[in-house]
Amino acid sequence: MNGTKRRLFALGAAGLAAGAMPLPVALANEGGYQRELMAIFGPLIGWAFIGTGLLAWMRRPENRVGLLMIAVGFSWCASTLIASDQTALFITGYLTIALPYAILYHLLLAFPDGRLHSTLERVLVVAGYFSATVLKVIETMFEETAGTTRGYPENPLLITSDENLWIDVVQLRPTFGVLLALGVVMVLVWRWRAARGPQRRALTPVLVAGSLVTALLALYLGAGVIGISEVRNELEIGRIAVLAMLPFAYLGGLIHSRVVGGTAVSKLIARLGDQGRRVDVRDELAQALDDPSLALAYWLPEKESYVDAAGRAIDLPLAGSGQIATTVERAGKPIAAVIHDSSLADQRELVRAAGTAASLVLENERLEAELRAKVEELRASRARIVESSDDACRRIERDLHDGAQQRLVSMALNLRLLGSSLDANPEARRELESVRAELRAALEELRELARGIHPPMLSDRGLDAVLEGLVHRAPLPVELGATPGERLPERIESTTYFVVSEALTNVAKYSRATHARVDITRENGSVVVEVSDDGVGGADPAKGSGLLGLGDRVAAIDGKLEVESPPGQGTTVKATLPCV
Amino acid sequence: MAESVLIVDDHPGFRLQARRLLESEGYRVVGEADSCASALDSARTLTPELALVDVYLPDGNGVELTSRLTSLADPPAVVLISSHDGLDLGAVVANSGARGFVAKAELSREAIEELLR
Repeated sequence: MNGTKRRLFALGAAGLAAGAMPLPVALANEGGYQRELMAIFGPLIGWAFIGTGLLAWMRRPENRVGLLMIAVGFSWCASTLIASDQTALFITGYLTIALPYAILYHLLLAFPDGRLHSTLERVLVVAGYFSATVLKVIETMFEETAGTTRGYPENPLLITSDENLWIDVVQLRPTFGVLLALGVVMVLVWRWRAARGPQRRALTPVLVAGSLVTALLALYLGAGVIGISEVRNELEIGRIAVLAMLPFAYLGGLIHSRVVGGTAVSKLIARLGDQGRRVDVRDELAQALDDPSLALAYWLPEKESYVDAAGRAIDLPLAGSGQIATTVERAGKPIAAVIHDSSLADQRELVRAAGTAASLVLENERLEAELRAKVEELRASRARIVESSDDACRRIERDLHDGAQQRLVSMALNLRLLGSSLDANPEARRELESVRAELRAALEELRELARGIHPPMLSDRGLDAVLEGLVHRAPLPVELGATPGERLPERIESTTYFVVSEALTNVAKYSRATHARVDITRENGSVVVEVSDDGVGGADPAKGSGLLGLGDRVAAIDGKLEVESPPGQGTTVKATLPCV
Repeated sequence: MAESVLIVDDHPGFRLQARRLLESEGYRVVGEADSCASALDSARTLTPELALVDVYLPDGNGVELTSRLTSLADPPAVVLISSHDGLDLGAVVANSGARGFVAKAELSREAIEELLR
């Protein structure tokens, strides 16, 4: 038997004895205070609280709720000694009469996770203990117990029987107690209202019973303060009866969530096993665990991080965010994390069981998420590669323009100057003229080269101007239909230019067309580039690297290239470029 | 016939060569400018008959400068120049208010007079 088991066993034995005690006390003390009530409810409440507390403690040793329940049970048993007509026993019961309620407040305010959540809650708990101990002792020193209708014996702690003083002091604790009880009820009601779905369902049984006990105590104390003694007996019986139900409310809630949880997991298994049906594992888990906010994160071992179903990086919730993550493993390795409401913290086995039931599907989805993450990475890197190659092309074009081209221009001007001084020598003039022709051809070739690398005016003057140049240079009549008429994002402009340029090159090379047409329109957040001709058709994007390369380029900015080219009916190249 | 010339280009090397060439062919180069702003200043004070304007300038472009030059009180005739060829510029030149376009390498009195005729 290990330490914990031994402690549980000892507590159980002590609880059994403590719970049995009220019965002989009540039986032996004819005329004692609320003797019959104590005979019935004494053992019932004691055993119920201690037993349920032990069960809760076994389930969750780290959660204080179990210990608090056990403490309520023991203090309750001690307080039943009030029914005794033996002075020593009576005064023990009398002094501890309020203690079970102070501990109960603590229990209710700390339910279900065993922690107090706010300063107000902590103040209420401290005030409860203060009232049940310090105020109770002070009150006892001034209260004449013998000779009342309650059948109390002598008060051995009495220090004065001055009736005026007695009434003032003895009113103090009940008044404080009423305010305190109302405060506790208000906090409990507020917490219940603030709780959502599964959290609220977990709170309801215990909070309803607890609030009722506290409210009945407030009425009981209040009736005493204002002197309505007729209803006090009924209020006390009612309160004690509801108090006796509280452990059962706790057990009921536990069993309910177990049964509901178990059923939900078996339903989940059945649904996941339903072959031929595409299941959304998140929705299924959200339904099984009754938590609509539930989300899934998939583990990527390579990156040692979690991603969502779309492959985007995702962070697990931090402590105190209202959500927690429960890891699901398969063959000893993490595959996913179920991110769920922290009210399910008490039911992590259930979450894990549901996760394990879904682990095969989760593993598949994890693989899909991993694939999506990789695709996303590749897509981004492809876009980056295209962008950096565009940058490089722009630089080369700039360098050609500023370097070689300027030198050639300068040479051409020098030759012209030289020519005017050579008027007298026709031989030299002819030579010079042929050098100048060579130079002109070199300049033209250089311009052509630069244009192929990057259209020189695209960055400065935009598509409209550049397209006009393109259409002018084409060796067949090209009609420039719709143009954007405004500047577009740089990568859209350069891709559009390359589509038109490559398509017109193809028209000139292969189509034997007599006429072509270029249209650039905007359609639902996309730029649509269309180049059509009246040539022989039969172009195949799979053959020849031109259209294929163009398709890659268009795809790099998430666009789509379509080529329609039925034999004998011309060719239409259409690129749809998303442009938000 | 235009005789006084303003050269607008941001390359000092080209301005020097253009001045030598144009002067050797009988033009009187009255000023040089390397930006749109200084070109407008010079055109106002020097009132040249002809302005050679590069299409690309550091503080703007020659096409816009052309429309501002031609709306001056005593406007020069504007000829756009560039190291690109005219086809690249397309309708840009036609709509600018300039008399025409000469590639830098083809600069000569003959080419200019062709446009001004």
